[in-house]
Amino acid sequence: MNATALRLRPCTRVWVMLLALTTASVVLGNRAGGWAALAPLLLALAVLKGQLVVDHFMELRRVRRRWRALLYTYLVLVAALIGVAFMID
Amino acid sequence: MTATAVIDRAPATRLPSPPGDLAIWIFILAELLVFGLLFVAYAFARAGDVALFNHHQQELDQAAGLINTLLLVTGSYFVVRAVAAVRGGSGRACALWLAAGFGTGVLFVAVKFGEYADKFAAGVSLSTNTFYMFYLGLTFFHLMHVLMGMVILAAVAQKAWCGGYSRVEHAGVETGAAYWHMVDLVWLILFPLLYVMR
Repeated sequence: MNATALRLRPCTRVWVMLLALTTASVVLGNRAGGWAALAPLLLALAVLKGQLVVDHFMELRRVRRRWRALLYTYLVLVAALIGVAFMID
Repeated sequence: MTATAVIDRAPATRLPSPPGDLAIWIFILAELLVFGLLFVAYAFARAGDVALFNHHQQELDQAAGLINTLLLVTGSYFVVRAVAAVRGGSGRACALWLAAGFGTGVLFVAVKFGEYADKFAAGVSLSTNTFYMFYLGLTFFHLMHVLMGMVILAAVAQKAWCGGYSRVEHAGVETGAAYWHMVDLVWLILFPLLYVMR
């Protein structure tokens, strides 16, 4: 990590990560046609992005753990159910 | 190590409840539940006719969806900066960051209307097929939340500009911000689900 990156605010770093992860997921989705692991990978990226929003934008990392746990559980549960449905085909 | 751990460390002491009015968080949880159920319903409906969903998904304007995702993420970032500004005692800077967030909402709506115009011109409607019923239903439901979020951001920005918040009392800004982040959060699942995953 260079000096410029270190000077960025934490929220700015999160924003850049979200932009990068979003773009990466689209590039990945279009290049990996027919790859069985694609859906779980895209879901994992969505959960990771959700986690960044929950922790740093909604600021739940500063709050009692039960709130963060609730939102994490939501993200993982929804992604897992979607993942199961995508494995049916 | 999670991505979060790379960004910064968690504070030693934790707040008892999330930033903003507790009522908005109850509302946010209810909204997340509804969106979650709709996402899972989409996924299982797709499992019933994968070929149809995969075929029509390719007719969507993925670039427009990507641009809208980047816009919402950026809007959320602007709103984070607005909260930081008011905590630093600058109501005017807070209002300007909120206005920037509102601007990303305007662009999101414009892109979405462009997408809808193309689909309606091609004769697509809610009754075209199950895929388009979900596409139109889910994105329109989300769009209503974007519009609601823009109304909230505008109201909060106006109050911030007029000095209605201070370094000490700014729960209104945090409440509006939490709602706007929820709109962003559900789109981060909706976008890959509808536009990318196959």
